[in-house]
Amino acid sequence: MKRTMLYPRDTMTAEERLRAVISLQVPDRVPACPFIYYFAARFAGITVYELWSEPAKYRAAIDRCFEKLGPWDVYYPVNPRCPEVYTFIMPMVARWPGRDLPEDSICQLLEEEVMKAEDYAWTIDLGERWGSLSYIPFFMKMISRAWEHLEDGWRTWAYILPRLAINLAGWRLEFESFKRRGSTVLYGFLPEAAFDSFSLARGLMSFVRDCRDRPAEIARAAEALTDGYYFILRLVTALMGVPRVEIFLHRSSNDFISPKTFDELSFPSLKALVERLVASGIQCVLHCDGNWDRNLERLRELPAGNCVAQFDGPTDIFLAKQVLGDRMCIMGDVPPDMLVLGSPSEVDEYCHRLIEEVGKGGGFIMGAGCEIPPNANPENVKAMIESVARYGYYGTDRVTASRAVAAGFADQLTERSGTGE
Amino acid sequence: MSDSIAGFISDVDEDGALAEVRKALDAGADPLGLVEALRAGMSTVGNRFEAREYFLPDLILSAEIFNQSVALIEPHLKGTGGPSKGSVVIGTVQGDVHDIGKNIVATMLRCAGYEVRDLGIDVAPGSFVDTAKETGASLVALSGLLTVAFDSMKDTVAAFVEAGTRDSVKIIIGGGPVNETVLEYCGADAYGKDPSEAVALAERFLA
Repeated sequence: MKRTMLYPRDTMTAEERLRAVISLQVPDRVPACPFIYYFAARFAGITVYELWSEPAKYRAAIDRCFEKLGPWDVYYPVNPRCPEVYTFIMPMVARWPGRDLPEDSICQLLEEEVMKAEDYAWTIDLGERWGSLSYIPFFMKMISRAWEHLEDGWRTWAYILPRLAINLAGWRLEFESFKRRGSTVLYGFLPEAAFDSFSLARGLMSFVRDCRDRPAEIARAAEALTDGYYFILRLVTALMGVPRVEIFLHRSSNDFISPKTFDELSFPSLKALVERLVASGIQCVLHCDGNWDRNLERLRELPAGNCVAQFDGPTDIFLAKQVLGDRMCIMGDVPPDMLVLGSPSEVDEYCHRLIEEVGKGGGFIMGAGCEIPPNANPENVKAMIESVARYGYYGTDRVTASRAVAAGFADQLTERSGTGE
Repeated sequence: MSDSIAGFISDVDEDGALAEVRKALDAGADPLGLVEALRAGMSTVGNRFEAREYFLPDLILSAEIFNQSVALIEPHLKGTGGPSKGSVVIGTVQGDVHDIGKNIVATMLRCAGYEVRDLGIDVAPGSFVDTAKETGASLVALSGLLTVAFDSMKDTVAAFVEAGTRDSVKIIIGGGPVNETVLEYCGADAYGKDPSEAVALAERFLA
């Protein structure tokens, strides 16, 4: 197969570069992975509804971003072609653009109780009876409760499974298209961790009480689903041809739970799952939303050289490099407010610092703090993506070269503002 | 007894706090004094949260204990639960439906003794203006989790200017991505990173 390089100075393909940073080796340069989806709609002048309901428009919108703002190394796939399938990942009631919200809104998730307190016991039993198939019935039940037009039982299965298959087939095609242009794909599937799924499905208030009143049940239920998670992740990553998964951890940060609760209720099942996946050759991207400063030490227990910790701003990413840099790759974290309200030179300066400090010695992926905001300034997004080509090359002449390029870029920005561009 | 009630609340001990409140009421304690004790306990919770000894669940659970305790005390109160420390209008701004943070801030403000009018989610700028006028609130709290909320916050501040009431209210903002830059962009008066800071801002502006 032809080895496509994104930039003239590159000596690695995007896939080689991504593998190198995850395994904590020094690549030719820092890879960029912008988490683009809502932003693509606005940038391409279509609605979010069109983005998600018309695959051709989605493709065109992403292509436009790639062409005008890229190239970038790693495609971050979030393209839920069916609202109900979204709930197969995040078990919450969703308000959907073009369905419950104006067509150009972003999807919004509601804190409603789709999981009952007694469902912990049911989940433990499910794990015992269904073993490696337990993920599917658990999420089918949650889906049936999250969507009014669905009901518990085989009808939900019959509704969801074909749509899931279509969604995954669409993904597979998108992946191939990205690979053809010289990029690679971050992951083949993206579950929410079990503990975090319970938190989302119970609703924060109920879950806080659960953590106080029934901690053992939470821990056992999360553990009971581990086989189910492992099976579905192995299956789907094999089907997608990408040996990596993204594990969402929306509710395990210090913003939502104490480090003690993380250690006792969230981390054990996460660790068990990650260890099994890594042992079977699947690497893990941990989507660490919120502030993780006091959970960082615990993450050191995960298998070295096989995980990525993605941070979205509240975590001190520079501290994370110090604590975790010899254990896992770090990804992030250009702040959303900077991408919306900042200037290209501010973004450039911040990215430069990220590359110099967090990218030191490899093990870093340039990205936004979570997703690129829908109303981000495209010039800022471009500055972020381009920073890896400006400052991200590793080698003896790197510092001198990057400073020279930085000086040139500053001149360019001055010229642009001078001409009112 | 007041000290022990404050202690139970600050230790997030539901059974202990409720038992102590019942015992105090049976002994004929001053109901307003009990409410003050509960507030003192909540204040300690806020301090521990700021010191990172406590986390969000502690805020939520202590606020629940506060509310349950007040429910026990209320039948013994003549009139209201004491003089209000001021009125606050709160809501999630237009285009955003996230309400966890906003709800927790509203609860914490109530626990701290403020009268809170919660307008809910996806609130149009004009509603904030009208409600502030109607209630006489001098503090308006705008919440938003999404970056698209920045413009709504700015529009809401502008609506107060347009209505000619900007000088009669202080406007504070809060939510995930909010920081100094966003504050400057919106033209609000201050921002809070968490519920505890929101209460501190209310103390500052409504002193």
